[in-house]
Amino acid sequence: MKYLQYQWKTRLVVVLLISIGVSILLMGLDVTPWAQQINLRGYSHGADEGEGPNIPSFLLYVLPFVKELILIGIPLLLTLLWLKLCKRLKRAV
Amino acid sequence: MSDWTKNLQKTRYLMDTLLLVSFMMVSAPQTTGVPLHEWLSLLFVVPFAIHLLLHWDWIKQSLRRFSAKISAKERFSLVWNYLLYVVMLLATVSGFLVSVALLPAMSISFEIQDFWSKIHHDSATLIMPMLGIHLALHWSWIVNLTKRMGKRAPAQ
Repeated sequence: MKYLQYQWKTRLVVVLLISIGVSILLMGLDVTPWAQQINLRGYSHGADEGEGPNIPSFLLYVLPFVKELILIGIPLLLTLLWLKLCKRLKRAV
Repeated sequence: MSDWTKNLQKTRYLMDTLLLVSFMMVSAPQTTGVPLHEWLSLLFVVPFAIHLLLHWDWIKQSLRRFSAKISAKERFSLVWNYLLYVVMLLATVSGFLVSVALLPAMSISFEIQDFWSKIHHDSATLIMPMLGIHLALHWSWIVNLTKRMGKRAPAQ
């Protein structure tokens, strides 16, 4: 762990200060017309309580991970294909 | 694999794997339940901070690299990493602002705005494809290290 321990306190403080600064800036989104519009319109995500989908209960635990694998995996594969294509094109030129 | 603490690349590989697994756990509130999701998200700061500390050299050089003559892939990767960091922060900040378990447990409560609920849901979903692209940009490193992790270091 020597790589992790080297000047870790100073580095962590730097990361923390930058992150807090950026977070404060992001919290400023709160006062934009965009935020006010969404707050006026309202937002709800997923089914209401007691209105769960009619699927086996174990799938309720598995499906979120399947969703993650698809949402991470497909862009990963597409990017790999794109990079391979670029490499081939570069070689051909 | 026993020598991983003495090797920066192997340390990065193991810690990045831990980061990915914890990210996947944190990103499934339907599985863990919202209270556990919020507490795990707080713990997620640890592997995320480790990731940044282990890539400190990259962070230090990144701004200088941006103005240097580098490949389009490297330039894209530079911008992408910073974007991923900002979206990650947005998901974290909005997560705190819509907290129903973590902050109330610390006796902190405020009115939850629909805007932050939407931002939290959208940014958390956006991180996944962004992460996929981030992994693809470092794919050859991942494949090389996966092969190296199984091999023992030569005897001294």
